[in-house]
Amino acid sequence: MESEIFDVVIVGSGIAGSVLAKTLTQAGKRVLLLEAGLQAGAELRPEEAFATYQHYVETFHDKAIPATNGPYPDIPEAPSPNVLQIQAATPYYTGYLVQKGPLPFASDCLRAPGGTTLHWLGNVPRMLPNDFKMKTLYGQGVDWPISYEDLVPYYELAEREIGVAGDVAAQRGPDMGRDDYGADYVFPMLEIPPSYQDQVWKLRSQNLTVMLDGEPYVVDCVSMPQGRNSIPNPRYRPGAIVWDKQIGRFVIDHETPTYPVTGSLWSPYTGERCEGNASCVPICPVQAKYNALKTLKKADQRRLTIVTQAVASKLLIDRQTGEVTGIEYKRYRSLEDPTYETHTATGRLYVLAGSALENPKLLLASDAANSSDQVGRNLMDHMVMLAWGLFPEKVYPYRGPGCTTYIPTFRDGAFRKDFAAWISPLDNWGWSWPTGAPGSDVSTAVGTLGLFGKALRDYIADRVTRQALLHFECEQLPEPDNRITIDPQYIDVLGNPRPVIHYDASPYMRKSFAAAKKVATQIFAANGIEDFTEYKPSDADYVTWEGNGYTFEGAGHIVGTHRMGNDPKTSVVKPSQQCWDHPNLYLVGCGNMPTLGTSNPTLTMTALTFMAAESILKQLEGVRQ
Amino acid sequence: MTNRLSVFIDISSYLTGFGAVDLHGTGMGPTYLATVEKATSAETLSFFFETAAQILRTGAGDESAINAMIAADLFPVSCFGGLAQNIILMWYTGQWPPAVAASPSLAQARNISPDAYVQGLVWTAADTHPPGAKQPGYGSWASPPLGTR
Repeated sequence: MESEIFDVVIVGSGIAGSVLAKTLTQAGKRVLLLEAGLQAGAELRPEEAFATYQHYVETFHDKAIPATNGPYPDIPEAPSPNVLQIQAATPYYTGYLVQKGPLPFASDCLRAPGGTTLHWLGNVPRMLPNDFKMKTLYGQGVDWPISYEDLVPYYELAEREIGVAGDVAAQRGPDMGRDDYGADYVFPMLEIPPSYQDQVWKLRSQNLTVMLDGEPYVVDCVSMPQGRNSIPNPRYRPGAIVWDKQIGRFVIDHETPTYPVTGSLWSPYTGERCEGNASCVPICPVQAKYNALKTLKKADQRRLTIVTQAVASKLLIDRQTGEVTGIEYKRYRSLEDPTYETHTATGRLYVLAGSALENPKLLLASDAANSSDQVGRNLMDHMVMLAWGLFPEKVYPYRGPGCTTYIPTFRDGAFRKDFAAWISPLDNWGWSWPTGAPGSDVSTAVGTLGLFGKALRDYIADRVTRQALLHFECEQLPEPDNRITIDPQYIDVLGNPRPVIHYDASPYMRKSFAAAKKVATQIFAANGIEDFTEYKPSDADYVTWEGNGYTFEGAGHIVGTHRMGNDPKTSVVKPSQQCWDHPNLYLVGCGNMPTLGTSNPTLTMTALTFMAAESILKQLEGVRQ
Repeated sequence: MTNRLSVFIDISSYLTGFGAVDLHGTGMGPTYLATVEKATSAETLSFFFETAAQILRTGAGDESAINAMIAADLFPVSCFGGLAQNIILMWYTGQWPPAVAASPSLAQARNISPDAYVQGLVWTAADTHPPGAKQPGYGSWASPPLGTR
């Protein structure tokens, strides 16, 4: 590898790295992709891909509590956070993340070929136009250096790449409507059918007026756009994404007659439709759910070199010019054998496409890109407050994708001056998240209530089928002290640093938990739902506000540790996503997002990655920017 | 079928609320019996099966009589080391013993086997299917489950 010069060296094969590998190779560039995970996971030929993936599915079936990363290899040489290791008492140093507190950071991601898209849920709502102007409109956080309008064409590319199923007309809400998508725009595939329980929720929740701080809010329930296969929309104008060198933009070439649904890696006839496995997190057994390996497989393989088990450990930098001269990586032998060799990858341009935990870690370890002192700062996540109860009638949860309908009502409003906005997905999987149901219901029925036989079966049939879960994904703002640092005391088996995390919930967040709880109570009451929500002081992320306690969970939406901006003093990358400090280094991924909004971040991050791909191609081709 | 497997299935039917045919249909009977035999002392096992067989014989198909005897002589945790309750949890969740309690960490808790998870009766009892298996097909979630409509 040392002797070869590539146009671009990319670190990480998640969705950002895979989109770059595909678009850059298809535009004729030679790409080296370094991936920390195991070689088996990067096998894209049908037989090997099938064997690896079946192993993941079998591991999922084998683990009593698979959580999010359970199906995938736990690699000592490239560790991932594990949500099952989160503890209430900080600081603690066990696990991959070094949790300095005061609160533990409760989200994870996956270091494997395909990245966290292997276990993501696949919800892909766009951000709202106002999300990009938080400072101007609400005096909170920062404004983005780009607007919603700037991002629209790239959202369309991202929706094409992921293969979004959804109903554009249903994307209503404060600050969102048909005009924000364009009059004729449709998603590639028709909406995933809403669950039976969504329909029950809607009967008594649609247009319900709830009161908050004396203000009325009308609840709306709308269809969730999703990255999983449904029926191609005949009105969608399909086509390949191609690089138009003349105008320096990606365009969709409308030659293909119908939208080509992308099935599994091993067969185009598997995963053509969502089959209702109800296990999107942690794994879709048929790959009807999008994952980044589908994109990686579409790269021009003649121009793509993938090196796996290759953990980037240091950027080599010419301190005179600021140019990156190579990326040092440690190539380990196997899961069991951490023996490694150190290599250097070289190219004209370099891109870090790791998560918002890994990118800043590598930058800090390399003393790179940090003249602003912003690397690792502004760590954000959706702080997820859950509310659960029992419907008066059976709604038959534990079926279908995790979420098919959401409440957009509190995604935007004047209240954002005072407390965080949130999106409320209606959950299709009962109480599995908060209580470990339905296994916990069986334990209670047998061990506590003394039920067996038909009485036990009737209890489960009555109780589990009525479980309702509503959740509130509250938008965390950028704060400099919520951050990742590194410390030579804390290293992994390859000697690479582990992320050291400082994390807390501000009053702005705590106030939103109190507000969301008031809304939950009113929605539950209108639906006749008996409230079983319980926040315990022993919960890992238990916080109080005005004398009341609330528990939040991590959303897995790890964002903001190397943000983009217009000012090199306060941001790490330019709007082009090139580092201010290094002319041949780009950062992509959720770390670039200056604020989080209330959307699941993958769609927006993917749109930004297409934008970055254009900047990279223009730089390679000598186009002035 | 061995006599012991026959008693195991029949008593499991009364313990779980599922018919013997349902239990046979999971294909897990021999595996679960072997799991119980491996985890329990020969002496306890022998007392348990003697009691179970006697309950079945005495009850002679009278469900309420059998349930009363199970409640008194088989189900309590004081009987046979709580074996009956663990057998119920095994059929419902595919774990032995309840994995979370028995494992050093949540991440290490295992089901008896991948098949045991897939065949867990809790999913059938709840009118659904195990997540990640026995998938009911595109759009099925938009209506109440088959058999409940």
